Amino acid sequence: MYMLQAIDVYKRFHKLEVLKGISLQVARGEVIAIIGPSGSGKSTFLRCLNRLETVDKGYIEIQGEVMVQNGPDNQAQYSDEKNIARLRRKMGMVFQDFNLFPHRSVLENLMLAPVLVQNIEKEQAEHNARALLEKVGLAYKADNYPFELSGGQQQRVAIARALAMNPEIMCFDEPTSALDPELTGEVLRVMKNLAEEKMTMIVVTHEIGFAKEVADRVIFMDEGLIVEQGSAQQVLLNPQHERTQAFLGNVLMAR
Amino acid sequence: MEYLSKLIPVMLMGTTLTLKLFFCTLVLALPLGVVFAVARLSRFKILNVFMQIYIWIFRGTPLLLQLFFIYFGLGIVGLQLDRFPAALLAFVLNYSAYLAEIYRSGIQSIDLGQREAADVLGLTRLQTLTQIILPQMFKRVLPPISNEVINLIKDTALVYAIGMSELLRVAKTAAVRDFSFTPFIVAAIFYLLMTAGIQQFFKWLEGKYDYYH
Repeated sequence: MYMLQAIDVYKRFHKLEVLKGISLQVARGEVIAIIGPSGSGKSTFLRCLNRLETVDKGYIEIQGEVMVQNGPDNQAQYSDEKNIARLRRKMGMVFQDFNLFPHRSVLENLMLAPVLVQNIEKEQAEHNARALLEKVGLAYKADNYPFELSGGQQQRVAIARALAMNPEIMCFDEPTSALDPELTGEVLRVMKNLAEEKMTMIVVTHEIGFAKEVADRVIFMDEGLIVEQGSAQQVLLNPQHERTQAFLGNVLMAR
Repeated sequence: MEYLSKLIPVMLMGTTLTLKLFFCTLVLALPLGVVFAVARLSRFKILNVFMQIYIWIFRGTPLLLQLFFIYFGLGIVGLQLDRFPAALLAFVLNYSAYLAEIYRSGIQSIDLGQREAADVLGLTRLQTLTQIILPQMFKRVLPPISNEVINLIKDTALVYAIGMSELLRVAKTAAVRDFSFTPFIVAAIFYLLMTAGIQQFFKWLEGKYDYYH
């Protein structure tokens, strides 16, 4: 059984077809990096996996349970809301702009959902939250507010907040793109630690170095399609497709 | 001086009515505006359109006219309200409409990412609204709300048109009777003191919300 399986996913925004039939199988503990030029649909695909966007057509299951499949009219038919809510809870999400709750302290950001959604006792939630902050190296910031933190620290808090819900899969949507270059390292280190703990991860990223070092599989997307995929070695060091070569050429040139 | 000592107690009586209407309106309109704003943003088309029409009517006609409709108009169809309840109803309906639009702009100014973050964490729509959106909205709308509240204290003067003895009417009566301009000066000072109080209160409130950006 796959942790997550998507088959032939289509998505359009008005006239613009963003996903033109994407399929992906993710095994437990696998770390997948999705790379590609902007506008290639990689973020949209990630957002479809936890229904931040709805797909037009296609099949998505999480741990063998169907979230969406094609109905008789060949259009996407979602499972009922309750079921979807349960499946979505298996997935943690980290956004490009962190999206921490600015009116809540760091600790409260981590405690909010466990208390409200999972009905965990406040003391227990706080205990867990502090342990997670320890893990991302920010225990000493527990009582600060997000605006008092650097971008890198905010993103580490956002990762801890997602982990507080005990997700089975962690999704990262360009987690370091909004950060100054000198702050990306601390976030990537936290992600690398997660990978070493065998967390299943899907990471949309521009960090080729991170993909090379951490990802079990690299997927290159362009114009709504998966152009090439394979081990980091294969895709990044020996790309077969000319669009992959061109993209990597541009990215590496920029360094 | 002797004149003032006779005038001021009467004017304080008028002020009591002014303040009573002011506070009753706020207590009802401030929360009602939130409900209306949320209804205005509802996905339910009927509710949404109903709120638009309501807001159009109550922002689109003079408050004085609304006061006449509710006090005299409802009387014609056999629903005669006393002066104070009639005035209160008009003020609450009118101010809720304005406040709803301010709240709506505040709600819509909250970054979509906040909703998405709450969504992926599994919060329900109601939890997202009460825990994430509204608390942040209040901070943002404080300046325009303080405008409305200051307007309200001055608008209460309108109820003299349905024969209620609020501050300005008391002043005018005294001025005509005593052939003196002093009551108007005293009224102006009273209004300024009340608005100064409101300003201080909002300054304090903004300070309370200053713990985050």
